[in-house]
Amino acid sequence: MEEEVRRKKAGRRKRARDRIVLPDLFILGALFALMIIGAVMIYSTTSYTTDLNNQSQFLKKQLIAELLGLGIIGFIYLMPYEFIRWFGSKRIRVVMLAGALSTVFLLMTPLGKSVNGATRWIVLGPLQVQPAEIVKIAILVYIAGFIAEKKDYINTKKGFFHALAVTGLSAGLVYKISNNLSSALIIGGIGVLMIFSATKDWARQIIGYSIILVAGVWFMMAKAHSAQAAGEVENLKFRYKRILIWEDPTNPDFYYEGAFQTLQGLYAIGSGGVFGKGIGKGIQKLDKIPEVHNDMIYSAICEEMGLVGAAVVLLLLGTMVLRCFYLALRARDTYGMLLCTGVMLHIAIQTILNVMVVTNTMPNTGVSLPFISYGGSSVLFLMAEVGLVLRVARNSSR
Amino acid sequence: MTDGKRKKRRRSPEASMMTTITRKIIIMAVLMVMFFAFLIFRTWTIMRDNGERYKKRVLEQQKYDSRAIPYQRGAILDRNGTLLAYSERVYNVILDSAMAMNYEDEIETTLNAINASMGFDKDEVRTYIKEHPESQYHIMGTVTYEQKEEYEAYLKNYNATVTEENKTRETKLPKINEKTIWFEDQFRRTYPGGSLASDVIGFTTADGRGQYGLEEYYDDMLTGRNGREYGYLTAENALERTVVPAENGYTLVTTLDSYIQRVCEEKLREYDIAHTGEFRENEMGADNTGVIVMDIHSGELLAMASYPYYDLNNPKDLSMYNDMQVDQLAKMGGWKDEFLEGETKEEREEKEAMRLEKASQSLWKNFCIAQSYEPGSVCKTFTVAAALDAGVIHDGDSFDCRGYLTFGEGSKATTIRCHQRYGDGVITLKQAVEKSCNVALMLIGQKLGKDQFLKYQRNFNFGLRTNIDLAGEMRTSSLVFNKNNMGITELMTSTFGQGFNVTMIQNISAYASLVNGGYYYQPHVVKQIKDSSGAVVQNIEPTIVRQVVSESVSRLMIDYCIGVVDEGTGTRARPAGYRIGGKTGTAERSGQGKRDYTVSFMGFAPADDPQIAIYVVIDRPNTASQENGTRNACILCKDILTEILPYLHIFMTEPLTAAERKELEEKGLKDTLSMNSISGESISENEASAPVPMEDKPEIKVLIDDKTGYAIDPLNGEYLDPETGAPIDDDSSIFQDENGHPIEIEVLTDEESEKLDPRE
Repeated sequence: MEEEVRRKKAGRRKRARDRIVLPDLFILGALFALMIIGAVMIYSTTSYTTDLNNQSQFLKKQLIAELLGLGIIGFIYLMPYEFIRWFGSKRIRVVMLAGALSTVFLLMTPLGKSVNGATRWIVLGPLQVQPAEIVKIAILVYIAGFIAEKKDYINTKKGFFHALAVTGLSAGLVYKISNNLSSALIIGGIGVLMIFSATKDWARQIIGYSIILVAGVWFMMAKAHSAQAAGEVENLKFRYKRILIWEDPTNPDFYYEGAFQTLQGLYAIGSGGVFGKGIGKGIQKLDKIPEVHNDMIYSAICEEMGLVGAAVVLLLLGTMVLRCFYLALRARDTYGMLLCTGVMLHIAIQTILNVMVVTNTMPNTGVSLPFISYGGSSVLFLMAEVGLVLRVARNSSR
Repeated sequence: MTDGKRKKRRRSPEASMMTTITRKIIIMAVLMVMFFAFLIFRTWTIMRDNGERYKKRVLEQQKYDSRAIPYQRGAILDRNGTLLAYSERVYNVILDSAMAMNYEDEIETTLNAINASMGFDKDEVRTYIKEHPESQYHIMGTVTYEQKEEYEAYLKNYNATVTEENKTRETKLPKINEKTIWFEDQFRRTYPGGSLASDVIGFTTADGRGQYGLEEYYDDMLTGRNGREYGYLTAENALERTVVPAENGYTLVTTLDSYIQRVCEEKLREYDIAHTGEFRENEMGADNTGVIVMDIHSGELLAMASYPYYDLNNPKDLSMYNDMQVDQLAKMGGWKDEFLEGETKEEREEKEAMRLEKASQSLWKNFCIAQSYEPGSVCKTFTVAAALDAGVIHDGDSFDCRGYLTFGEGSKATTIRCHQRYGDGVITLKQAVEKSCNVALMLIGQKLGKDQFLKYQRNFNFGLRTNIDLAGEMRTSSLVFNKNNMGITELMTSTFGQGFNVTMIQNISAYASLVNGGYYYQPHVVKQIKDSSGAVVQNIEPTIVRQVVSESVSRLMIDYCIGVVDEGTGTRARPAGYRIGGKTGTAERSGQGKRDYTVSFMGFAPADDPQIAIYVVIDRPNTASQENGTRNACILCKDILTEILPYLHIFMTEPLTAAERKELEEKGLKDTLSMNSISGESISENEASAPVPMEDKPEIKVLIDDKTGYAIDPLNGEYLDPETGAPIDDDSSIFQDENGHPIEIEVLTDEESEKLDPRE
């Protein structure tokens, strides 16, 4: 009986779901604004480079990725809701995550491409993909599907640790194989916080994660400091050196160990002032800041557009985050809600990490600024996530 | 569908989970908003706390990818376009040790290359690389364009060979590293003439600033502006390279003639060598000797030379002078120290450095413009010309010289004597000039009076700078008398050129005006300024400052001066085959305890149509008597004119004696008398202007000492030369009282005059 009523309702809903309405304008507006700012800054930071005949090569690649991303958004948006539910279904999500993780393993094959000593890209003909980005969206969809499938399973010890183990495994693989702590942190962060959001428990998780976080930070700092005290800084891994750099970026011993990136980024931010030097008029981007079009693009924004520009960017990203949050609240089912939450977490965590790194609020680690930093994989998968959110929103529109 | 509704319904698992998620993501959203706010705050604090500091840092660390392109300093040419000074392009060899260390296996081949092509010492360079492995910029030395080319050819050749060979080899041979050595172009000032016109040209410091002479005076003109090659960002954010070319300095075309200049310098040096140690052992032929040759119709200097001179390419090099001469130079430059026993090595070294410094400074000083002296009798021409122009005397006036003149009254009475102690008798004005009679000149001075005398002196520019375009001209305004400090004695001495100071350039400029019709030209050395492409920037035309005497007076002065050379004191100055005019000068340099002289001859040529003026000064000649000194000045002048007059296309007008002809042949000079007749001038015309036979000699009563047979001075009994009437004792001064005791006439010495000159 109840079953029948639900089916009838579902039928009605299905019709509503499949109605095509205007996508969420806040998300779209913020997305376009961020893409424009990103394109301008990428052009500004890359066009001066040596190849004068091809000044817009970076911009072109980025625009192609963004157009592709818009196509993906449109595709996902037009698909029936069942299609995105299908991704969360047990078999598909496992295959998908396994597929994503297998791309991480591809890094160990000759397809992997090393940049600055870390193998983070796989090269497929003209395409270069960052497996970590695939894993991010895969874990997001996987956890959402996992939780939404068997509602109370996540609140059992077995279910909780099952989900946590999948998250940990994915993050660990990315960390180990691509030597990419920041992506691992983001993957772990998305997974852990999604699990947290769906479990009834508060205290145990908060205390547990806090202990792990504090212990980890304490361990790393202690190791770095003891090596510094013993004068064996040279033998430290770069991660630990970055802690020392974070504490004192002006220390000349570390300048060529990576401190220059942090320091020059700070110079760029500090010299920008409230309104900046004007778009295209930055100086620091010229050879001074490594990865200025990528991880360090926030410093170029500060230098050229000042505090105002930086605040606009953060407000736009905040708009995205809050809109995802709002759409999560409005979602009609747990799956949709969790998808929106995951995307919200992804954008927020990545933004926070990026800006904290650039402003030297935390030790340096490579995180790109969502929708703005140069990088096809990042933009493509982030936009796919936006597509998911918009599709969920379409479903909940009346 | 709200939470409330869901709660009321007995919670489906879906609804309950959505409630949980809602609660938790609300907390998360709040935290995220806080985080975002914190990020904006954090960005702001960086700008607030460090903004200014970071702005500066950003600008400080801008290593503009730019390169200075050095300008080429303008050349200095003589009037015929001969290079006197130019800047030659040379190359600094830069060693990049860091690059060498990056390619360690290529160091040896690279060292071989720079040794073979540019001659650098391999061990030296190797040591430098080892000791400074991080240095990226070390100037190893300077090479010429040819050496640089040779290195580049060597490198190209060697590397091509090695590349070819490496194709077939297992172990690769090292190449020459192309980036270890690179070149930076630069200009080096070069003076092809060496010491030629050293006093006029001056030199440049290592950083390209002119010192002394033209290099200093025209420094702004000669200096260009460095260009720059740099990278910058266009509005489209493209990194562009732009070259702002260097602006080269202007070229100076001087009025000097390097042939005449060279002749003057050679003669000065010959004179000096001939008279070194003649009277005072271990001293040069004179403290200073100087010659100026001037075009009287424009004030252009054809030559200005003084000895001792120096090598412009190496201005600090004193090796052409021996130690005693360096000592003499140092003393002239004001060095007073002496080496003492028991000095430490450091003290001695310091003193030695100071000594060399002072010697160099006195070498660099241009005697012709930067040193004053009492001109002596050459100035009699000015007194006579002034009196003629003022109308107080006339051609043909006669004066009675009794060997001395006493003026003033009572205790102030002063007696000044003539060279000829018996007196020249009654002589005409022309004879007074010819014989250089002091008494006649004093009589003229009395007629002229103080005010007129001073007015003419000022007109002749004495006491003022000539404003010649050379650095370092001395100020002499305090070294001449003015209304307030000129008494009768000063007036009297001034009439024959004692008591006041002049510089050579002042004297010859004034003299030129006497013989060119009375026009005082500002003397100058540069006649044209051109830019580096050869376009004329400025022509410097002759400037007439004023007319000092009338043309008729000028004509008379020419006549009188010709008389001096024809039959007066300057006969020895006449070059064979020519007729010239001039005036000798001997000035006492008293006041330093001992009596020294400055001897000179100032003349013009040719006699019938004066074109050039020449002035030879021998300052403190190293000769036994002043008589010899004066004679030497005349001979020096003759030697110079003998060579330069034919060069200036001034032809002989006088028949040559057999001895003169022989002398000319020895010198390799032609008799240009015949050429003159071809040019159409009739010889009879020349004969017309030939010397008029001298009038009857005035009668002079000679007192002979019975015991010795010498003539004696009626006033003090000094022995005199019966021929000339001049005292045999060289210490005898014309400034004597009636009893023959020397009197001191207050005369400014060189040292005092230097003190008075604020620029020294």
